[in-house]
Amino acid sequence: MTSHIQTIIDPPEDGHFRNGVATDGLIPSPTTLSLNLAINGRDHALDVEPRVTLLDALRERLHLTGTKKGCDQGQCGACTVHVDGERVLACLTLAAQVEGRSITTIEGLADEDGTLNAVQAAFLEQDAFQCGYCTPGQIMSAVACIREGHAGSDEEIREYMAGNLCRCGAYPNIVAAVRQAAQELRS
Amino acid sequence: MTVHDVKHAASDSARLEAVGGRLSRVDGPAKITGAARYAVEQQLEGLAHAVLVDSTIAAGKVVSIETQAAKAARGVIAVLTPDTIMKLSVASDWFGNPLAPQRTFCPLARDVTYCGQHIAVVIAETFEQAVSAAALVMADYDQAPALVELGDGTAGEIISIEGMTKEWGNAQAALAEAPVHLSAVYNTQRSAHAAIEPHGLIARWEGDRLTIWEPSQWLDGMARTYAEWFGIPFENVRLVSPYIGGGFGSKALALAHSAVAAAAAKMLGRPVKLMLTRSQNFTSYGGRATTRQTIDLGADKAGRIQSIIHRGVSEVSLEGMWVEAVGSITSIMYDTPNFSSRQDVVRLNTVLPNPKRAPGENPSAFGIECAIDELAHELGLDPLEIRLINYAEQDPHAKKAWSTRQLREAFAVGAEAFGWAKRSPAPRSMRAGHQLIGWGVAAGAYPVQRAHGEAVVKIMFDGSVEVESSSIDMGQGTYTILAQTAAETLGVPVSQVSVKLGDSHFARAGVTGGSRLAGIMTGAVHKAASQALDELIGLALSDPRLPFHGLQANTLAVKDGRIGSPRGDGPELSIAELMAAVGRDRIEAKGDTLPAGTTAEERYKNYTTIAMSIPHTEGDYSRHSWCAHFVEVKVDEDFGTVRVSRVVSALDSGRLYNPKLAESQWKGGIIMGIGEALLEEGIVDRRHGRIVNSNFADYMLPTNADIPDIQTISVGIPDPHSSALGGKGVGELGIVGVAPAIANAVFHATGKRVRDLPITLEKLRDGAEARERGCE
Repeated sequence: MTSHIQTIIDPPEDGHFRNGVATDGLIPSPTTLSLNLAINGRDHALDVEPRVTLLDALRERLHLTGTKKGCDQGQCGACTVHVDGERVLACLTLAAQVEGRSITTIEGLADEDGTLNAVQAAFLEQDAFQCGYCTPGQIMSAVACIREGHAGSDEEIREYMAGNLCRCGAYPNIVAAVRQAAQELRS
Repeated sequence: MTVHDVKHAASDSARLEAVGGRLSRVDGPAKITGAARYAVEQQLEGLAHAVLVDSTIAAGKVVSIETQAAKAARGVIAVLTPDTIMKLSVASDWFGNPLAPQRTFCPLARDVTYCGQHIAVVIAETFEQAVSAAALVMADYDQAPALVELGDGTAGEIISIEGMTKEWGNAQAALAEAPVHLSAVYNTQRSAHAAIEPHGLIARWEGDRLTIWEPSQWLDGMARTYAEWFGIPFENVRLVSPYIGGGFGSKALALAHSAVAAAAAKMLGRPVKLMLTRSQNFTSYGGRATTRQTIDLGADKAGRIQSIIHRGVSEVSLEGMWVEAVGSITSIMYDTPNFSSRQDVVRLNTVLPNPKRAPGENPSAFGIECAIDELAHELGLDPLEIRLINYAEQDPHAKKAWSTRQLREAFAVGAEAFGWAKRSPAPRSMRAGHQLIGWGVAAGAYPVQRAHGEAVVKIMFDGSVEVESSSIDMGQGTYTILAQTAAETLGVPVSQVSVKLGDSHFARAGVTGGSRLAGIMTGAVHKAASQALDELIGLALSDPRLPFHGLQANTLAVKDGRIGSPRGDGPELSIAELMAAVGRDRIEAKGDTLPAGTTAEERYKNYTTIAMSIPHTEGDYSRHSWCAHFVEVKVDEDFGTVRVSRVVSALDSGRLYNPKLAESQWKGGIIMGIGEALLEEGIVDRRHGRIVNSNFADYMLPTNADIPDIQTISVGIPDPHSSALGGKGVGELGIVGVAPAIANAVFHATGKRVRDLPITLEKLRDGAEARERGCE
């Protein structure tokens, strides 16, 4: 399997937290972090243990369940979200790593008025999913793939979408959807 | 409850919305925006999180479990072991047969029969606390010898499955007399369902009422199991599963981990959520069983088959029974006057294997569809030609006419689209640079499985329509085709129809498996909607205040949600106006496809067991879906890497209720077939019986980069003997025949016959065949 999805390895710039141990007075207790996460343009305050991943923070604490847990070990791509516009695996990212970053999930992709992103619309039109479980990750990956300039040919789309597994086997339709959305976004 | 509202341009309208139209998924908008809430995504107050501890041996006894450290860990509510978890009653099997009613069922194992069996569970306030505490639980075992691999199928406890023997003529004598012989062993590997949504559940008790949120292919069957485990009435269990993130056969039964979560919730008096880790999804339930099959073919020099002798064996666990029936379609693909097929299973220290997409038919096709290709090569015949020479004009086993069999058409249409006529017959005769090119063909079949279903259709005061069923949509398109069926039957736009599925308190439904759901449920919805329509028209005709009063029944119809003369003359009312005029807030009809006089007990059995399935050879016909796959592979001459570069498949699933969605399912099956042919294999550590590649990095699923363009062509015609609206099975069919088509293409490319799946590069080395385990 080829993965083109990044994980964040650089620590937060203000550096108030390392390896689960509080390093300054900002943390109320050694085992709980008070975080403020900017998700889909809104601020969310939450108290979590340092070991809580972004994925579990989204799904279990903030009830943003659109981001899916497929493997919890960075191998399937179902949890793909955007951090500062780049695709990131939420299961391999601690919630604490993304404070101060701009996070976008599938719930934040359409316009406020409900107008779908071109990729979402193309996925529906091309029937680029069946069960729908890998779909949020596929769509987040596809949006970034197009933005990265990696949707120039079907071959390139297949390669740069290869980090998102789909067991229903919607791959040919996913390629068609990404191709269609890329063309619409170019014109 | 799940409601899908569909809005699309007026130009889409009638053509797309009719049954058979290419309507986009009505549940699509929810899935592409993240709004679709899957079963275990329910948010409940006071939810506790459970994490399982699994055995690290394949056989033996758990002597002791050290739980003190885990219990002392922060946030831990309880650690349960075989000694402390509540004991349940033994539930009946999926035929409804009671299993050892005198015994109790302990969902955590003291006697270990496979590696990865659940032996303890940690429940904590948060998921993270449960995960870390579970790592502190230590077990001591008294280990016993284990048999963990099928090998050549001759070691261990071998059980003959007499009911699967099929014989006619004198196969041995005819084989001895036939001038052309072929004998080969074909092996298929253990493979995983690997749905991207893991198995798991939330269990909540309110008194003696249990609600389970769990991805499920069979709400009523699983609800029955929970009811029997806990000794509560069936009606007290509510199973909720609005969306299923992939099942492929794995999510039809309540499993040991389901029992653990429900028992823990009852003991703690709190709702409990338990999700299997990805690794546990490889060990907590079985995938497709490993199989071995021997095929001996006798033919005359013109290529006409005289005899087929088939012997198959599959692996099964020490407890329970599942047969991967490798002879299931061997008997129907070709006309032969003499035939013999038998099946054994071997008990191993493994988790019970499960049905996985086209169970039986898929490995069965690998045997017979490779063998016929080998025979063609032996005789210098084209692989298509030999299939037509031996074309079965009726079911050779059941001796009944096919209901419909568009296989000849599939061969012709597929060959034309693929360009088969340009194939150079000799192996290694087509290449592009250092890539050897191979073209292969294989056919497939899947029986039409039928049962009965029921549905509720409600016409509401505002003219909207609701359809309710406890059937499910795991991506096959149930929401969509039932909306199309109700809309067409009632004469309303799809945008006025809401389909609600995935709640066991709705009208009952049997298992979603064996490609039976669409045929059953379109029939049930059509019937319920027809009853509702009759009542609506009856109201229109009988109310003296309405302009239709006194007209004949057949002079009224509903079109675009308006009731009036079908000719468009005369008075017209919208459904909402009519309902207001007669003062009704709803018309509700329950329709089912069961015969008149069916008892309540039979109904319960129909929905909660598979005992009332109707044989595909019932009555005068033998009913199957059919397909032919044409595959091009490119094999690197130096490295032996195989890439599928082109697939054209022609398929006969009868009438398609929605071709857009059916094509997606076919392609999905073909892609799963590519995985089983080239990539996927559950590898067992022979020392400990562990699955060593129990994750998505080491268990190779096809990725987008592995899959070429796939062309699917429907050659089906409506089959009135198979379902009310003329459809046959779709979802299981696509995978059948893919692996042999690829193996045949690899042989054409390389001149090497690999009879052992998956076809990996080391098997294509010179002289590699002789060293492959289990191969002759």
